[in-house]
Amino acid sequence: MVQIYARKKALAGAANVLLAGAEKLKTSQNEAVRNRTTLDFHIELLRLRQNWRLKKVSNTIIGDLSYRTAGSKYLQTGTFEVTKAEDDEKASSPPSSPLPSGPTPAKQNSALRVSIPSELQGVAYIEVLCQKDHEDLCSVNINLLGSGPPPPPTQTCIGSKKLEAAQNVLFCKELFNQLAKEAVQLQAPIPHMVVGNQIMATVLPGIQLIIGLCHSTTADKKQQHPSPSKSEHDHVLEHSLHQLLREVHHKNTHHPFPHPATGPLGPSKKRMFAGPMAADRYELLEMTKTDTLLEQIVKQAQHFIMRMRTEYVLDTIAKEVKDPLISSHWNTLNSPTQSCVKINISTHGYDAVCRTPLVIHVGEKSLKCICRDGKVMNMSYEPQELRDLIFCHINQHQILAVQALAKTMGWQALGNSNHLGDDSTGTVEPLGNASSCLMSSPTGDRIIAVRCEPHTGIQVSVAHSPRTDFFPSRLVTERKWEHLGGQFRDVRLDKMEGRNFLHKMELLMASLTSNS
Amino acid sequence: MSAPGTAMDSLSAALKCNIIPNQEYLLQGSVLDQYVEVLLHRLRGLCDNVDSGPESFHDHELCFTLRAGSGSGAPIVLPLRVRRALDVADAPFQLRYVGQQELGDKNRPTVVRSSIDMACSSTIVEFLTELGCRLDFEYIARGYMFRKGRMKITVSKIFKVAGNKPVETVEPISQSYLVELSVLAPSGQDAIGEDMRIFAEQLRPLVQLEKIDYKRLGSMM
Repeated sequence: MVQIYARKKALAGAANVLLAGAEKLKTSQNEAVRNRTTLDFHIELLRLRQNWRLKKVSNTIIGDLSYRTAGSKYLQTGTFEVTKAEDDEKASSPPSSPLPSGPTPAKQNSALRVSIPSELQGVAYIEVLCQKDHEDLCSVNINLLGSGPPPPPTQTCIGSKKLEAAQNVLFCKELFNQLAKEAVQLQAPIPHMVVGNQIMATVLPGIQLIIGLCHSTTADKKQQHPSPSKSEHDHVLEHSLHQLLREVHHKNTHHPFPHPATGPLGPSKKRMFAGPMAADRYELLEMTKTDTLLEQIVKQAQHFIMRMRTEYVLDTIAKEVKDPLISSHWNTLNSPTQSCVKINISTHGYDAVCRTPLVIHVGEKSLKCICRDGKVMNMSYEPQELRDLIFCHINQHQILAVQALAKTMGWQALGNSNHLGDDSTGTVEPLGNASSCLMSSPTGDRIIAVRCEPHTGIQVSVAHSPRTDFFPSRLVTERKWEHLGGQFRDVRLDKMEGRNFLHKMELLMASLTSNS
Repeated sequence: MSAPGTAMDSLSAALKCNIIPNQEYLLQGSVLDQYVEVLLHRLRGLCDNVDSGPESFHDHELCFTLRAGSGSGAPIVLPLRVRRALDVADAPFQLRYVGQQELGDKNRPTVVRSSIDMACSSTIVEFLTELGCRLDFEYIARGYMFRKGRMKITVSKIFKVAGNKPVETVEPISQSYLVELSVLAPSGQDAIGEDMRIFAEQLRPLVQLEKIDYKRLGSMM
């Protein structure tokens, strides 16, 4: 009995202790809810620490926002300092210059204050433009950085956003610094120019690539592009530049591992092979050569221009020429410096009869065309060359299509020529060569001659095999010579019925085929 | 001929400048199979390039010795190791000479021994056999490697190779993994030993990396 009482007392005592403790905790929490600032500083610091590298050095909290740990070798430091928001009167000089306490935004109610070095304040981006001497080539309709409405600032966002902007500024500075160094060192046929915050590189004759570092230190987010005549810059090339620099960083840190495991750390795979494969000095030197950032971005810009030009030429031809249909299919997968397009020249309704395929590989400064017979034509960056080539192929297509059609109609191809030069068959064409073919009907009593020229179009003539106008003369006496064939008379194709050339030819052949 | 002359000149110049890594600083330890996952996690966090994950390797090592009887004295034995990667098909073979442990002061934190590595083609085995080397033993090592700065850490399991059995049916020689922390450096850079010791401290008590006295190991057998 006594034991039960004793236990009851003991339990009551323990319960009292626990209740008192709970009361204390409750009161302290209520108080904390009332004055938020002290608690929030630590929580915000914790959240900041989840995203940024911070460490405590004596009494101050210093952070690093540079890309040094990601592989950057840029010399500018990115140290920032984190302080409590109440003590902003302190102008005690830390290594990184603190924000002037003037433009403290009124809406800030964060417990942290982040002090960024003065040269990293503001917003920066790299502007990339392709200009044709003084006009603009590309106009991309994408919203400029920061021109949209800013997201509502939450408590933890402000410090982080400032740090992100500063990190971006540092990245853009490093990128521009690297490009400027390369622009000065590289020896291009037309030298690159570096003026202040702009680098001008010649991509193709008459076309320049302008890379500029835009660093705006005002907090005005509504500031639009200063000169309205300039088009918006090329975001794709800007993104490429960012990617290229990140790749450089990545290579600086990620060295390949040796396989087998006892090999030395450091040499690349090619270098490991240099010994056993007896690489000579030239090969070793070649291994060390890499393309600089500027060269790579110039190549990408060149390819972009080439692609635009090729698209323009193909679209224009497709709109102009309706008789054989030109359809182009661009490959979905391509690289920043190479694309591929497949062109089909076919006549509407006669796709199965004849189709001329072409493949064009668009490179950086040249085009490579693989024709239907396997021939490879290398063209330069002039768009006229491609145009001429396509027109030549259209001609060839017409002649081949007529011959294929003749086969299906039962007509016999007597002969053809792809290159009619300057002789009695006609004058030399300014573009390409005329081609022609001769066909005879199944019974042999009609002959059709087709001549196809790039500029003047197609001419069709018909002849009767036993001459209708044969009369034995004093020189030619026998009757058999009437089979040598008669005069060719032109057919007026424009007056004929038929959707397109092949249709007209089909109707012509059908009408000339006799039943006997 | 001037071309081999300049090659020899550049080689001797390189030797003089002390840039050829010809010494290995080494610490070794072992960890039981059941705790190796924990060790791998820890190494992954401590070492470089957390995002790319641990690099695995699967190697086959053959150890040759070249014996040259020097008449009345003790025969000179030259150990040579040939190592090839089984997972990467076209990687060159590595020929390695590892010297005796340097008898320095006892306070040195790591094992220091001379080591010369070179890449060679797959005909090295025939070459060594023709030279007169005999195959002492061979084994297969399979595991992961990490790096931190200049240091290379490998966690590997050693398998016995029976001559005529296919590669997949090898059996492990123990139920633990061998952990090695090594740096290849030119001679005279002893400060790296201290860095290695500090790193090894961070892996305790999972694995105790320490310098092994090979002579005593030999006498224990």
